[in-house]
Amino acid sequence: MEAIMGWAFNDPGLLAKLEAADDTTLDTAPFGVVAMAIDGKVTSYNAAESRLSGLSPSSVIGRHFFSDVAPCTNNYLVAHRFETEPTLDISIDYVFTLRMRPTSVRLRLLNQPGHQRMFLVVERV
Amino acid sequence: MFSGPTTSMEELLQFLYLTPVGVVKFKADGAVDLINPAASAILLSLTPGEPLTNIYASLVSLAPDLPRHVAQFNENSGTVIDQQRLEAHAGGKTIVLSLSLKRVNDDVYMAVLKDVTKMAEQEQRLFADQQKFRAIFEYIHDYAIYTITLDGIMDEWNHSVERYSGWRAAEVQGYSISLFFPPEDPESPDLSALLAEAKRVGSVETEGWQRTRDNSRLWANTVITALPDGAGTVRGFVVVSRDMTERKRMEDNLKLLATVDSLTGAYNRRQGNVLLLAEFARRARDGRPFAALLLDIDHFKAINDRFGHAAGDTVLRALVLACQSTLRLIDIVVRWGGEEFLLLLPGVGTGEAVTTAERVRAVIAAMQIPILDGAPLRITVSIGAAVPAGESPEQLLRRSDVALYAAKAGGRNKVVLAP
Repeated sequence: MEAIMGWAFNDPGLLAKLEAADDTTLDTAPFGVVAMAIDGKVTSYNAAESRLSGLSPSSVIGRHFFSDVAPCTNNYLVAHRFETEPTLDISIDYVFTLRMRPTSVRLRLLNQPGHQRMFLVVERV
Repeated sequence: MFSGPTTSMEELLQFLYLTPVGVVKFKADGAVDLINPAASAILLSLTPGEPLTNIYASLVSLAPDLPRHVAQFNENSGTVIDQQRLEAHAGGKTIVLSLSLKRVNDDVYMAVLKDVTKMAEQEQRLFADQQKFRAIFEYIHDYAIYTITLDGIMDEWNHSVERYSGWRAAEVQGYSISLFFPPEDPESPDLSALLAEAKRVGSVETEGWQRTRDNSRLWANTVITALPDGAGTVRGFVVVSRDMTERKRMEDNLKLLATVDSLTGAYNRRQGNVLLLAEFARRARDGRPFAALLLDIDHFKAINDRFGHAAGDTVLRALVLACQSTLRLIDIVVRWGGEEFLLLLPGVGTGEAVTTAERVRAVIAAMQIPILDGAPLRITVSIGAAVPAGESPEQLLRRSDVALYAAKAGGRNKVVLAP
């Protein structure tokens, strides 16, 4: 499956692939994927992200990601960009406190007008 | 053995992810062991590029002394730093942090980081307000601003009140506001009624005399405003008193100017009319009688022509003085026209009116009025007296005028009672 999808963090066509993927497919990605509805509520939380954070998808899905799940992203670097930029495809270096360990990560923020979901992609550096 | 509900690792993680204060566990060299998202959010906002691996590096611009503080702490456990305020400037904004630091044991330290920017701003505003009030109390003149309890006890004393009243804080601590309004003074307002009204409608205003420390009086405008607490319950009052003594003096002065004839000091005709109407009203209400005497100087034109207007003025002044010293305090002397005067004698009936008029006439006839050049002048007056008998003020004046003419026609220096 992974090979078929050909997952790559820097893939220019990543947004289209994520859009097309169901939860089972998302679980095959080697990096964390958080899918959110336009209002910021989590709709998918893949296996890699779940491993990184220690949180199971069932405890996260339906909750507001920036305020209820990962408050450390509720700032102008991450949440603000999702809230204000309808067209978004940017990678930033960031530090997550995954399981309370400071962890350097690369984030990719993906959003496009007309789409039902926006994506936060997390790769450990 | 523990048998209560268990907490899953995931729940604990979630708990820490959502903890709204920053918590960091680190080693003596600053190496971060564990850090929650709130702490990382704060530290990342200060040093966006830092990987958050060392707390000293993240806080170096705010607390460069941190490693030294930790190194110099020579107890094995305890509080190294307790809620120290740190100020940072990032992105054009000032962020204020509160930092507490504890040594747990040998090489285990915990830091608590809180963004207290809003609290600091509030404190700043409060401080600025306090400074403002202090400046007002310190430098304002002619005003007293203070607070009192529901019972009118002064619970705050400041320079504005000291300057205004002369009393110092230590002398009047816990005194009632009636210090300013002595109850034995009939002019003092009813304080409990004032406070009740202020509590009911929010604010009352009163103007009147107030006592000061040296027992002098000042005329003050006082506004008492209810002070509600957060729940809207009135807990006391703010009192603002303004010393208006000077204005009051000027007003009284203006009133005097508007009612008194400047040459003689007698009431002017306008005020005479007011007082005449007041006497009529009093007579109608209380049945108290009064008499009106219309007095005219005999041959006044000849005095002016022969000795000049200055001498004429002197005569007019002397005549008013003579009337005032002959009559009672409550009697009223009005300059009615050029050399014509109206004397109102409250409570006086027909017989006494004639006696009094006769006395005035005699006193004036006996006067020697010194003038600048020449021998003292002597004058006489004719008086028409009338007592009201169910008529209008105009009719009363007409009757006294007729009587006055009769006195003139009868040879002057005479009193005639109107029939």
